[in-house]
Amino acid sequence: MKKKVLATLLATAMVAGSLAGCGSSSDTTATEDTAATEETTEEAAPAEEAEASTEESADAADPVANLIAATTDTVTLTVWASEEDQDLTTQLLEEFKAAYPDVTFDITLGAESESTAKDTILTDVEAAADVYAFADDQINELVQAGALQEVAATYTYDVATENAAGSVEAASVDGKLYAYPMTADNGYFMFYDSSVFTEDDVQSLEKMIEVAEAAGKKIAMDISNGWYLYAFFQGAGYGLSLNDDGVTNTCTWNAAGATDVAQAIIDLTASGVLVDMSDEDMATQIAEGTVVACVNGTWRAETAETAWGENYAATKLPTFNAGGTDYQMSSYSGYKLIGVNPHSANIGWAMLLAEYLTNEASQTVRFEARGLGPANTAAAASEAVQANPAISALAAQAAYATPQRVGGNFWSPAETLGQILASGNPDGTDLQTLLDTTVEGITAPVE
Amino acid sequence: MNNFSRVKKKVNSVLRHVFLLLLVVIWLVPILWLFVTSFSGYKGINTSHFFPETWTLDNYAQLFFRSDSIVQYNRWFMNTLVIAIFTCIISTILVLMVSFTMSKLRFPGRKQLMSFSIILNMFPGVLSMIAVYFTLKTFGLTNSHVGMIIVYSAGAGLGFLICKGFMDTISVSLSEAARLEGASEAKIFWKIIIPLSKPIIVYTVINAFLMPWGDFVFAKLMLNSGVATDWTVAIGLFNMLGKSMINKYFSVFCAGGVIISIPISILFVIMQKFYVEGITGGSVKG
Amino acid sequence: MKKALNAIGNYFKNLGIAFAKGDVWVKLSSVVMGAGYFARKQIVNGVIMLLVEILFIVMCIGYAAPNLAKFGTLGTVQFEQVFDPLTMTSTVNDYDNSFLILLNSMISLFLILVFILFWIANMKTVYRLQLKKENGQHINNFREDVRSMFNEKFHITLLTLPVIGVILMNILPILVLVAVAFTNYDQQHMPPNSLFTWVGWTNFKNLFTNSVTVTFGYSFKKVLVWTLEWAVLATFTTYIGGILLAKFINDKKTKLPKMWRTLFIIAIAVPQFVTLLLVRNFFADNGIVNTFCTSIGLTDFLKSVGLVSSNLSYIPFLTSPGWAKVMIVIINIWVGIPYQMLIATGVLMNIPEDQIESARIDGASPLQIFVKITMPYMLFVTGPSLITDFVKNINNFNVIYLLTQDVYVTSDQLLANSNAKEIDLLVTWLFRLTNEYYNYKMASVIGIIVFIICAAFTLITFTRTIKGDKEEEFQ
Repeated sequence: MKKKVLATLLATAMVAGSLAGCGSSSDTTATEDTAATEETTEEAAPAEEAEASTEESADAADPVANLIAATTDTVTLTVWASEEDQDLTTQLLEEFKAAYPDVTFDITLGAESESTAKDTILTDVEAAADVYAFADDQINELVQAGALQEVAATYTYDVATENAAGSVEAASVDGKLYAYPMTADNGYFMFYDSSVFTEDDVQSLEKMIEVAEAAGKKIAMDISNGWYLYAFFQGAGYGLSLNDDGVTNTCTWNAAGATDVAQAIIDLTASGVLVDMSDEDMATQIAEGTVVACVNGTWRAETAETAWGENYAATKLPTFNAGGTDYQMSSYSGYKLIGVNPHSANIGWAMLLAEYLTNEASQTVRFEARGLGPANTAAAASEAVQANPAISALAAQAAYATPQRVGGNFWSPAETLGQILASGNPDGTDLQTLLDTTVEGITAPVE
Repeated sequence: MNNFSRVKKKVNSVLRHVFLLLLVVIWLVPILWLFVTSFSGYKGINTSHFFPETWTLDNYAQLFFRSDSIVQYNRWFMNTLVIAIFTCIISTILVLMVSFTMSKLRFPGRKQLMSFSIILNMFPGVLSMIAVYFTLKTFGLTNSHVGMIIVYSAGAGLGFLICKGFMDTISVSLSEAARLEGASEAKIFWKIIIPLSKPIIVYTVINAFLMPWGDFVFAKLMLNSGVATDWTVAIGLFNMLGKSMINKYFSVFCAGGVIISIPISILFVIMQKFYVEGITGGSVKG
Repeated sequence: MKKALNAIGNYFKNLGIAFAKGDVWVKLSSVVMGAGYFARKQIVNGVIMLLVEILFIVMCIGYAAPNLAKFGTLGTVQFEQVFDPLTMTSTVNDYDNSFLILLNSMISLFLILVFILFWIANMKTVYRLQLKKENGQHINNFREDVRSMFNEKFHITLLTLPVIGVILMNILPILVLVAVAFTNYDQQHMPPNSLFTWVGWTNFKNLFTNSVTVTFGYSFKKVLVWTLEWAVLATFTTYIGGILLAKFINDKKTKLPKMWRTLFIIAIAVPQFVTLLLVRNFFADNGIVNTFCTSIGLTDFLKSVGLVSSNLSYIPFLTSPGWAKVMIVIINIWVGIPYQMLIATGVLMNIPEDQIESARIDGASPLQIFVKITMPYMLFVTGPSLITDFVKNINNFNVIYLLTQDVYVTSDQLLANSNAKEIDLLVTWLFRLTNEYYNYKMASVIGIIVFIICAAFTLITFTRTIKGDKEEEFQ
């Protein structure tokens, strides 16, 4: 209630602020704030300042202090983090509470996988958590559904400059920042067992298949999944992009010569060495020793490391041959982001918490605890991060990776195309027709 | 000759039982897999061996003693139990009320009402889930166990058909006699029909009680806070088989499955007789 | 039909009579609902009626009116939020939530309808009271009225609570569902952030037509056909299987029938979602059954016969259309037979033994006895529940969803373009449309069609049992 009163009082300031927030000056607000807190690495500092500056709250010199002053009731927040992130997040939440000793928090931590956060959130945005982690591919739909609060201002660190440019781009829609980058490792690359493959072998997919076949082992890739299938088509230069309306796609997978790519996938999988396999199955098959190389992301690093021990290795994706030309496989660069729900009752605190969970220290801790590649440039520059094979493989792949911007109509048709190609086009459909139908589905208008 | 036919009979009998045994094996292999996997030392799915390579009780220990934000089995069990008990009480009362009315009372519009209810009951809940969700949300009942009880039991009145069929078989002369002696309809309901409907009541009770244990669709939609302590067993176990979880929780899932199956199996076996009597008594005259 | 029209005619005729012949109190009752009761000294009844009326008026003003006013457009004020970076708070405008408007309007309309019916009933009652008084008949006092609620009006007492529950959980959601089918409620128009509005029959047209890009028509036909195929297969296989198994176990030659029965029951005592998820992993592409089949050479054999595509190293139990359909039916048999066996056991026990005996004496073979005596009897007895099962199978969400979700990828591009799969039933398709694609409008259209199909099947079979005098036969 009190906040509402305050809000009305500051109505004029607000309109001005919001106008400014839309324009370019959001940067100035941000830099000011960072300047104010830069020297104070201890998070408790703003809280102490708060008492001093209560009187000046009308000047709004320090929004965080204002917020602390304005907060009298218990701050209730819900946070969703992935199942694997629970322990770490619990620890960070405790630290966050300790950083603001004058405020009573009641923070509930729920488990919601980043990859499926969208499904739960979109069903009922108002019931979703105040702060939640999600994978960057969902950002368009989340923004459209009004499930993300624009990061119009930052308070404890500058999100836009401290994180890698790619991650900031991934957290933005139409040039506006909507989320806080948390990790920069949600893309895919090649894991392999170095006792089977040499570093030269893994340069080309054909060579890999040859080697694996000789060893009687398998290479796994989730081909019947648009996310991975993209690697072939994009690699060979056939584009897929999101239109300006933010919903429909443009796709040239059926352009002249694209049938070579389709044929290449059929040929590659025909041997039965490169197999279409889901991520869950890969985990089991790696552990059992049947799969000795796979296209997957950092989340499988642990499985691979356990199974292959010191032979565990990772690198960029290999090349593949389509119609006589070698193409470097492309990939999606993926990021995990933290978003704030605009329907949160404590939006200010939600934003501060989101900042806390994604600041340099937290990203470093997250890397140390779980081996997740930081989006924060300073954290990513550390030696430990650089030495991590999965993360350096991602870095090597980065040159061929593109951020994921695609409308919802992409997935089903692409999945089916992958399925058909990986099973050798059993109906013998003309490849051009096959691609035409796929593109038709991908580019279908959305009413 | 006589000897031959005796041998033939014996062979037949052996064949018969071998065949039954074969069927039972087919039926129980997956259950056995569930059971043995629940003792597996390997948390993921073992795809090369039927029996686990290492045996452990750790999965059960994890369920009961190592609660974290993913596994809250004790809480889930309690939540589901509470929801199941209330659902079962409310549903049974509603079903009995409607069944009695439809079977023993005569009033204008009865048959139309029955046809209408039967059609309505054919409407699958999945279709109207979202509307139910928002209806309950307006009353602030989402994310609460009260809401779940309402979801499971409010519409129960529609499932009167089998129970009504059973009550139809109770002779009218009994209630006629009571009516002549001046008993009210309420008294007939309470003192005559209810005691005679024991099998069908047991059937209704079991069915209503089992519902919350098996439903994950509604539960997942309604209990959407993401906080594991709010969940029911079904959501919790379902969640363990999610993409990112299955390789770490498959055998824990199996252990959880075994645990809920035990009370339900016992219930089923004990109630078998009533169940059969109830359902056939009802469906015979359905 | 004529009968129904007559009934409706009478309904309003009686209301007309009440108005025409009613005295001043009756007429006053049309405005002040308790009036007729006060005049006949039924004070408590009068007060209750008056209270109901006042409550209704309050409801209309406070709840129904504001919502119904926006019902035509489903709201016009878009959600807007302004965040103030200085106070770190945000303000939200007084926006319209289309879905809530729709929902609340539906509730309002429903309440108004109920009130009108209530009002008509009230008029008739009040008129009846007048007649009673004129004829010098006894007029119940309140205590007697209450007592009648446990006697001649006991059905009202008993039905009130169940009916309220059903309205809340079944009728209202269905009404909302029907309404949504005429709107453009989908991912592009999702409250609270966006508004949706009425679009007439567009969604229905989309379902039945095939344009270049929208393949809903194609998918609908395919899914519907498989839904019906599945319902027939699933119902009959488990039904016949259940009877056969029950007969087999109940046969005098089988020792320890109880033990056998119990063993089968264990299989169903494990909750369905557990067994189904388990079985899905059991038959996964890289699952244990496949490992086994490969090691005994079955996979290679099937490959050489051509039942498994040559570039697969596994049997696609749940991942290729043909295999998956067969497997789903088989797994359903596995799940369903123990239930059917339980039911059949009970029914078989009641089969008139003498008929079977005499047939046996006449030299009928066991098969003949089964076909000529057992089956007709079973069908006669369990016919209605067979139809119930059929309808339930049309909507058998669990089996299909749990066995194929996340595992099955369609290889039919046209189906993929409308997010359907070969093994989808109408319900699972609808569930995917709402849960993963938020296409509520199309899901509602499909929902209505599912409902119509089910209702038709139910009506055909149950009117026979309800209308006929069979009900009384057993009493």
